Amino acid sequence: MSSWFQTAVFYEVLVRGFYDANGDGSGDLAGLTSKLDYLQWLGVDCLWLLPIYQSPLRDGGYDISDFWTILPEYGDLADAVNLIEEAHKRGIRIIADLVVNHTSDQHPWFQESRLDTTNARADWYVWSDDEERYKDARIIFVDTEKSNWTFDAQRGQFYWHRFFSHQPDLNYDNPEVADTMIDVCRYWLDIGLDGFRLDAVPYLFERDGTNCENLPETHEYLRRLRKEVDALYPGRVLLAEANQWPEDVVEYFGDGDECHMCFHFPVMPRMFMAVRREQRYPITEILARTPQIPPGCQWGIFLRNHDELTLEMVTDEERDYMWAEYAKDPRMKRNIGIGRRLAPLVDGDRRVAELLHALLFSFPGSPILYYGDEIGMGDNIYLGDRDGVRTPMQWSPDRNAGFSRADFAQLYLPPLMDPVYGYQAVNVEAQMRNPSSILHWMKRMLEVRKQHPVFGTGSFEVITVDNPSVLAYVRSAVEPEDGAAAPVEGADPDATASRPDIVLCVCNLSKLAQPAELPLQRWEGKIPIELLGRVPFPRIGELPYFVTLAPYGFYWFELVDPPGRGSPAAEGGG
Amino acid sequence: MLSDWPADLQAALPGYLAAQRWFSGAEPPPAEAVRTASSRRLWSDGHARELWQVLVGVGEAVYQLVLGVRPAGEPAEFLQGRDKAVLGSVEGVYVYDAVWDPELAKTLLEVISGGSQKADRSRPMGAEQSNSSLVFDDRLILKLFRRLRPGRNPDVEVTTALASAGFGHVAAPLVEWRDDEYDFAFGQQYLAGGTEGWALALTSLRDLYTGAAGAPAEAGGDFAAEAARLGRVTAEMHVALRDVFGQAQKGDAQRSWQAMVHGLPARLERAGPALEDAAGPLLERLSAVPDPGPAIRVHGDFHLGQVMRTDLGWYVLDFEGEPARPLEERLAPASPYKDVTGMLRSLHYASRHALVERAVDDWVEMLPAAEAWEAHNRQAFLDGYSSCPRIGELLPDPASSPAVMVGYELDKALYELEYERAHRPEWVSIPMDALERLVAGTS
Repeated sequence: MSSWFQTAVFYEVLVRGFYDANGDGSGDLAGLTSKLDYLQWLGVDCLWLLPIYQSPLRDGGYDISDFWTILPEYGDLADAVNLIEEAHKRGIRIIADLVVNHTSDQHPWFQESRLDTTNARADWYVWSDDEERYKDARIIFVDTEKSNWTFDAQRGQFYWHRFFSHQPDLNYDNPEVADTMIDVCRYWLDIGLDGFRLDAVPYLFERDGTNCENLPETHEYLRRLRKEVDALYPGRVLLAEANQWPEDVVEYFGDGDECHMCFHFPVMPRMFMAVRREQRYPITEILARTPQIPPGCQWGIFLRNHDELTLEMVTDEERDYMWAEYAKDPRMKRNIGIGRRLAPLVDGDRRVAELLHALLFSFPGSPILYYGDEIGMGDNIYLGDRDGVRTPMQWSPDRNAGFSRADFAQLYLPPLMDPVYGYQAVNVEAQMRNPSSILHWMKRMLEVRKQHPVFGTGSFEVITVDNPSVLAYVRSAVEPEDGAAAPVEGADPDATASRPDIVLCVCNLSKLAQPAELPLQRWEGKIPIELLGRVPFPRIGELPYFVTLAPYGFYWFELVDPPGRGSPAAEGGG
Repeated sequence: MLSDWPADLQAALPGYLAAQRWFSGAEPPPAEAVRTASSRRLWSDGHARELWQVLVGVGEAVYQLVLGVRPAGEPAEFLQGRDKAVLGSVEGVYVYDAVWDPELAKTLLEVISGGSQKADRSRPMGAEQSNSSLVFDDRLILKLFRRLRPGRNPDVEVTTALASAGFGHVAAPLVEWRDDEYDFAFGQQYLAGGTEGWALALTSLRDLYTGAAGAPAEAGGDFAAEAARLGRVTAEMHVALRDVFGQAQKGDAQRSWQAMVHGLPARLERAGPALEDAAGPLLERLSAVPDPGPAIRVHGDFHLGQVMRTDLGWYVLDFEGEPARPLEERLAPASPYKDVTGMLRSLHYASRHALVERAVDDWVEMLPAAEAWEAHNRQAFLDGYSSCPRIGELLPDPASSPAVMVGYELDKALYELEYERAHRPEWVSIPMDALERLVAGTS
């Protein structure tokens, strides 16, 4: 029996940028609630909210200054409860970011801790007289930070921070801190959240002589949190953000007793690289070195998100290549990545955007969409920090992109207005009216994906093709012993009928048309049915199966037994 | 069940052989030159289905046939449209090439591996010059040698030795079938998901031909990273070959180099008088090389078609050496530069391959891009090669290195020219260009 998150499509949403219900120029929880019908129409299963807590907003809300309070611009607790209830009514779940590693330096805990070395919270953060400890820990935000230690004049000591200097790390060696953070989780789960994306989990503990990442103590703490969730909140999900190689990330699943989901970071830049190089190896290599994960767990995969296109998980030489290819203007570069949205990254080529989504939706893992990418929104690289990809959602060609009734000058960020990606050209309203829009295409893909839970839970096997520009793979359901495919909670009962589900995906990574000969003899006698149009293709025979693919084209085929004589499909299919 | 191998089939052999791709010669050999050297039953179902190995001598040559036997009248779908695979009918049975029989192919694998290898599915791969290959379950590839030569098959010998020495870039050996005289078949791990280096290089080159490419490093399908990794693997292969097979005596290495250099003027003359005239300074330079460096067992026919890119990196295939050279020459120790230049030549071939079929105008326009691609990837390959920590031990001293490399590149280009003149005249311009470049000292 699989869990909901194994077959879900996630949608990452920035509350500030989605819809402004009260007209103050900034999106809010009530605004998001009013757009739930749209999200249900699109077919997403779970929303992931970027941080919604009290914060001075020096790091997009990841600098939390009060774990118990909703950011006032977003609304209040009642708005959060209402959002969760309305979403649940529509079969949509909600998880939210929770930063467990650090707080804002404005957090009352830190304000108290920095007073002196003897106060009640003196040990809630990591303090030191000098910068000598934890020398082996790398600096993550190389653009802005020189050291992981910053001197605090008030207390006369250095405090430890893995990210910005205004985000001191909590001291998890202090049992009070460890207990309090569990209480924080329970508080929000009691309110009804379906889980958390746990930000920056590898860094909870520090130990000298290590790189202070992925320490055993950190895993022990996650097991404790998981036990709490399993006991009191079954069905909720913990999604770890650990930007590491898959063989290290897999540790965060534990033996199925730590996080339910982890992001698979390295597969993302490699999808882009594969399309640029027109060959499959960047992808198949990383999937080949991705270990099996415990049953009941799932990868979270994505093309783009609110952060940069992370290039930490590629080699130096590949990073140079990606920078040269995708960040032609130096402003597009950030820390160790590329700060762009999907559509401009692929030069506005819809065929590439569709191909990349087809890969995303059919790779092992649960896909996570970034708000606005379903309509092909662009970015504004002239906005500072990560704001370039956090501009207002483009709802209509009306004033302020239909996002807010506030004065233009009041908006938290200007909507895009350029002739290619601006809201006059790219918006939900126009695309909903146009059946050939990318929005409708996306909705159709999500429908098809939902009919085939095998995309979420099936095995993944690459099919050998001589042509290196073609990537072919089979997703197939592991049949339980009674011969029936595993039923999936909440899925269409027709889709989980007892026949085994086998889906063959064939993708052309090249800008030129390509042929492919697929060794499909194992499925001899079956009929491939193209899933977007339900068109039956010729029967698989004893010879290699030949297909031709349009530039950046792809096929999703369901492999089915030929229909019995006289059935409607046989007559219609010829 | 056949009591013995039916002598009646003898008459069908000349015609059957002539129809096989692995037979050297298009005409049926004279009947008196064809003899059945040995025959043995490998398997039988106790009734009429059987599997036989038959060795057939044709003059000096020995060929291996692996044949299936079925009762006459029992249909075999896999033989439809493959009349040439059927040897003939006799005693109420018919006899055919067993590689096409999905069931017998599996039986063959089981029999020759002594039961240690079993498979659910088999499929024949495209026919080759001297072998037939079968793929089992996309897991194991079995190469059935057709033209047998006494002694160890160099591919089996080298692959097995490298694998047991821990060199990870050859497909792991899984089955060896041989007797005291011949190697019959060799089964290796099937490199699922692999692509030949040649196909991968052409993928990178496509940008040139769509006219969209600028500098090769900026082209979408930049191959340099692959070329560098391939260079590294090549160097590691050489270190492993030396560790396994040792190094030739210094005098032998010197003599083999000198023999090659001495042969050059005559070959250059055959290539073209103008070339020979211009080659004087180069030949002097080659003769003056004081020490060509160590000589080791090398791959011998190293090019993009002999390497396979997989999810786990590059793999090296086919250690049989250049098929057109005699066996002893193929086994002779040589400088590792022989393989290095083989790959450099292959990069040149790849960059010119699609130009060959173009009109002259396109050719002129595309040539600079092709040259830039070649130079870019040549450098990347060499950088990767020299990044291997122990490779210095196997190379000549830095003063002689460039000349030794040029010598081997010249040797290879001359071999190519002779081959192209005999087989593919429209490709002659590729090695010819290289020769002109080498002689002019602009390579």
